[in-house]
Amino acid sequence: MGITDDVTLPTEEELTVQEVNLSGPALKAGAFHLGKACEFENNEFILCRNELKDPRACINEGKATTNCALNFFRQVKKTCADEFMQYVNCLDKSSPDQKFLPCRKTQGVFDKCVKDNLGMERPPYDYFARVHVHKTARPRPPVEGPAVYEDATPGLPEDTPRPEAKYGSRYIFMW
Amino acid sequence: MSSDIKFQQDMPPAGGYKPIDYKRVPAKTFFSGWALIGGYLGMTAGAAYLYYLNCKAVRARELEMRSASLAIYPMLLAERDREYLKQLRRNRDEESSLMANVEGWKTGTWYGEPIYHTAPPNTLINPKYVEYYVHSSFKDFSERANMAWLS
Repeated sequence: MGITDDVTLPTEEELTVQEVNLSGPALKAGAFHLGKACEFENNEFILCRNELKDPRACINEGKATTNCALNFFRQVKKTCADEFMQYVNCLDKSSPDQKFLPCRKTQGVFDKCVKDNLGMERPPYDYFARVHVHKTARPRPPVEGPAVYEDATPGLPEDTPRPEAKYGSRYIFMW
Repeated sequence: MSSDIKFQQDMPPAGGYKPIDYKRVPAKTFFSGWALIGGYLGMTAGAAYLYYLNCKAVRARELEMRSASLAIYPMLLAERDREYLKQLRRNRDEESSLMANVEGWKTGTWYGEPIYHTAPPNTLINPKYVEYYVHSSFKDFSERANMAWLS
């Protein structure tokens, strides 16, 4: 209930693309390089989502995001599969919540492989928690002004005389 | 008591009693009071510095985890959005077919009465999870509602 027939929903075919079929530790292992490689697509998608606040309006941006992530992981699989899986395994089994700290060695190996093969530097540890400026060609969404009601009380005209208060101010607090 | 024991008066020892030992013997002091206070402050300062270093490291670790989560968030959100919209369509189709022979029923409304009268008809009103899971199995719903023991 709540979704009427007037609401346009994309069809199943429009929404079906190949998803990134990876588990949590693998995503965590590739997170930093993925975020750097797909920075533009990710920012576009999140900008769209936050500006329009409607999942239906950002399907294409979302598809671009997923496509970029897929391409990144394909590249990693082509070049650094062993190093990546070693790192994933370490992240998965060293701690209950995939901490990075116990896996610095495997991380270093993976980073070096990615840098040698894909030419990608691992971004600083707080890179994605910083504020970034995103240059985009997206049109700015219309700004919704304050609501105007027809039956609102008309305000005083500008030239109303404003004399001094007749009996001064109330000097007792809250009375 | 036999009578052959001679009476003997108890007397002080020859040369008199020793003087009463009332002189105070303080415990041996290794540190003066100022040194103790200074030591306390110094150790506290040192410990505070170590604590600061530790806090910084912990913060950095948390920040790194958060940063990694934020890096994959757009991809996960995109996937979630697509699945969400698919499920909304499934729910709407299910409701239409379920209520097909109920007279006066209009999908998404209560017999033609919408949730918001002033909202444009194409507004996507995100359903509550109770509504979202209404056509699914109770097990799925209970997992979503954190009612399941192991999920």
